[in-house]
Amino acid sequence: MQDQQSDSEQASPSKLKSALKGAASAMPLSIAVIPWGILAGSYAIEAGLDVIQSQAMSAIVFAGAAQLVAVGMIKSGVGLASILLTTLLITSRHFLYGMAMRHQMSPLPLRWRLTLGFLLTDELFAICSETKQHKFDRWFAFGGGFSFYLIWNIASAVGIFAGQQIPNLDELGLDFAIAATFIALVVPSIKTPSILVSVLVSLVTAVLCELFHIPGGLLIAALSGMSAGMLTAKLTHETHPNKTILTRPGDGL
Amino acid sequence: MIWLTIILMTVIIFISRYIFIEPKLPLRLSPSVVKFLSYSAPAVLTAILAPIVFIQENTLHLNLDNSYLIGAIFAVLLILITRNTLLTAILSMLLFFLIH
Repeated sequence: MQDQQSDSEQASPSKLKSALKGAASAMPLSIAVIPWGILAGSYAIEAGLDVIQSQAMSAIVFAGAAQLVAVGMIKSGVGLASILLTTLLITSRHFLYGMAMRHQMSPLPLRWRLTLGFLLTDELFAICSETKQHKFDRWFAFGGGFSFYLIWNIASAVGIFAGQQIPNLDELGLDFAIAATFIALVVPSIKTPSILVSVLVSLVTAVLCELFHIPGGLLIAALSGMSAGMLTAKLTHETHPNKTILTRPGDGL
Repeated sequence: MIWLTIILMTVIIFISRYIFIEPKLPLRLSPSVVKFLSYSAPAVLTAILAPIVFIQENTLHLNLDNSYLIGAIFAVLLILITRNTLLTAILSMLLFFLIH
């Protein structure tokens, strides 16, 4: 794949700096994902996948929640169609991320789109949302996404080879790191009353969905929150502070 | 069969991540869709973090015995004061592991 922007191949100091900055931003999330990676690896072995299949789950599927659920379904002998439908339900939030990142990522050369598209996890979306207001930096995104990918795969490998020997991994409370990092990203983004409404509706809906074990709760909560925010902005005739950045010439109907 | 599952899952997940950043996809986001999507980051991130903070072992924990809730409140205060994402994440993790 040769694209016109061959200059982006050379790793100049500023690109390396951006990538390292991205890796640093993703670091709390990468740490938080370690126990889940170990779990994904050891659970795959336990379910009867061989070493290469177990690692391939993390290396090419690369989707924490979907991996764990699919491995559980393989283990209990559920059919392929059900596994794929469940995968689609769990992964559907990524459609939203892609749409939200369309303005930033679709103008990039193909190899960048493929790379960042493959790396577009919850975590990458989270750290990119922080810089979305400013200019999108592909190296920052790559550094964050790729460091996260490496740590997820190393953790999975540890789980594959040593998982059974590590007790009480889930009782460590490392998932708090996810909560803390997301709070640090969400709170500063609440710049208007409608965003506050959006966050509160999403919060309550997500908690209710989780308590009542409603499948697809994450997506339901997110869409409810987004709709509530939109509605609030309409009803209060709110003007968005970043309006100029959100629209691009040539877009829109 | 396991390999087929892995490969098809890879395809589904990659398409879900990639399709909307493909410029050839004939999709023009209208200003109201763009406005709607501008709420996606805070809404999705909140939807992921809220169950972690408020629910343990399938029960709602709204009291101050919940170290996740204490840590979360601390993180909110810290980010409002420092405006530094990384610092907030690290300091509130330290507090959390002290009290957990």
